[in-house]
Amino acid sequence: MAEYINLDPQYSASVESFFNSSPEAEVSLEFIIPEKDFNVAGKGSAEVKNLLKRLGIDPEILRRVAVASYEAEINVAAHSRGGKMVSDVYDELIHISFIDEGPGIKDIAQAMQPGFSTADDLVREMGFGAGLGLPNIKKNSDWMKLTSEYGQHTNLEFIIFFE
Amino acid sequence: MNNAENKYFHAIQILADNCTGCTACVRVCPTEAIRVRNRKAYIDPNRCIDCGNCVSTCQFHAIIPKSDPLDIINRFKYKVAIISSSYAGQFSEDISYGVAKQALYELGFDEVAEEAMVTDFMITMIREYIRANREKRPILSSNCPAVVRLIQVKFPSLLPNLFHQEAPMSILTRYLREKIAAERDLNEDELGIFLIVPCVAHVTAVHQPEGAYKHLQDGAFSIGMIYGKVREHLKKFQNNPAAIETFEKGLTWALSGVQAELVDTDDIRALSVNGIENVIEILSRVEDHYLDQYDYVVLRSCTNGCVGGCLNVENPFVAMSRIKKMIKDAPLKDINVNPLDELKKEGEFDVAPLSPRSIMELDPDIKKAIQKMKKINEFLIMLPGLNCSACGSPTCYALAEDIVHGKASIDDCVVLLKRHSKEEDSDDDL
Repeated sequence: MAEYINLDPQYSASVESFFNSSPEAEVSLEFIIPEKDFNVAGKGSAEVKNLLKRLGIDPEILRRVAVASYEAEINVAAHSRGGKMVSDVYDELIHISFIDEGPGIKDIAQAMQPGFSTADDLVREMGFGAGLGLPNIKKNSDWMKLTSEYGQHTNLEFIIFFE
Repeated sequence: MNNAENKYFHAIQILADNCTGCTACVRVCPTEAIRVRNRKAYIDPNRCIDCGNCVSTCQFHAIIPKSDPLDIINRFKYKVAIISSSYAGQFSEDISYGVAKQALYELGFDEVAEEAMVTDFMITMIREYIRANREKRPILSSNCPAVVRLIQVKFPSLLPNLFHQEAPMSILTRYLREKIAAERDLNEDELGIFLIVPCVAHVTAVHQPEGAYKHLQDGAFSIGMIYGKVREHLKKFQNNPAAIETFEKGLTWALSGVQAELVDTDDIRALSVNGIENVIEILSRVEDHYLDQYDYVVLRSCTNGCVGGCLNVENPFVAMSRIKKMIKDAPLKDINVNPLDELKKEGEFDVAPLSPRSIMELDPDIKKAIQKMKKINEFLIMLPGLNCSACGSPTCYALAEDIVHGKASIDDCVVLLKRHSKEEDSDDDL
């Protein structure tokens, strides 16, 4: 099982205490992401953004959540056999996780390289597959963890703080 | 709610006597501003953006546009009409634009000007503005008042991206005010300037302009109403047209696609979007910086742009085709824009920074908002998820939110009521 973790150092204590206390989410949203259905992919992140707008989250934070979750949603649609997106809202942060049905990532370090892509022709035709998805998620989140084993599924989760 | 009731002017009126409570309007409102309570529709003035969807949808003549009655022009010594570009598309092709314009003098106007006269000046002004504000990408067009209000209520973070200069008809108004008052030695209150407009949002913008520093117009008349009144005069001029100057080349303003093409140039990439649902989708993507490759986005609430406004009489596609033909056939014309440039330098066309009218937050305090959202979700689980609007709220989610805000009750759900009564019936059977 290969793993990639990125953490903004200023949040290391907050992230640690979040996982240690494992609080119950205040509000949760779940979305099914069907394989290669680009009409549906993006709806989940749009819903999450709308939810956060209603909570009065700062627009810049909102944008980061929207970008990171959209990229991740498209990744699941483009590269996996489908999966789901679970968004959990807490008082100070949002935790979003994406679990797919495989086939897993061959080389995680390579996948994190900006510009690297395994997107097939269909995906590229749809205007995706520039190899910026994962780097964008990394850039816009305060903590992210990508776990995968080739032949198994991939799990991506990230946290963005509201302040 | 009551103290906010009069804060915003709206050019939409509900005739309660005609309203059947059918909820058709509730379902087409893009900002979820309408509710039916006690079998009557009610518009939340904080949420309404005057897009006119409800006006076009109501089959019972219960939601009607408010525009000014023509006789208000008689309060002024000198009366000027400015016609919106979509006016040109309303007439059958045997009637020339010149005749349609000439007939307006018969209604009592002393002078008739066209929005189309300042189109070239606007295009130059928009390009200069984009080049001077490169750090904001993309610049969003601001002359559709429904779009401006949509951004205020739903996308307040994009307010700085709006083109912060007056719209063409207001630019023309400022210019004519100065020019005519000087030429004819008139006081401010002797000169009446009126717009002939294609939509309710423009009526609202005349009565409550956003960001305006100066006195603009004195009233707004619906194209439909004016059309009804000029018809009888058309025949007479058709046989005997006067030599009247028209500015067909500038009619592009009525068509959102054509306007974007004009702004688009080597260093400016423009995108054109029309129809309120499309506008909402695009703004959401602008918000996430997914459309930063564009320098300018033309946004119009109505289908095809202003030709789609609910106060027009002709179908938006037919009107567009006619206007395109007129633009194609018209000769190029040089308009002296020096006086406009002068006024621009003096800051006459500046607009104050627009402020939000945000309706999105459940509560100013995030923690309280989260608790409200939790409650909304609790109600949402109980509701059937049909989004049938029979309760009078647009969706089950909206009803859940209304319940949490104390504006509705779970008993308003017709489907639940039916289910409960069935359960009671079956209890009785036992």
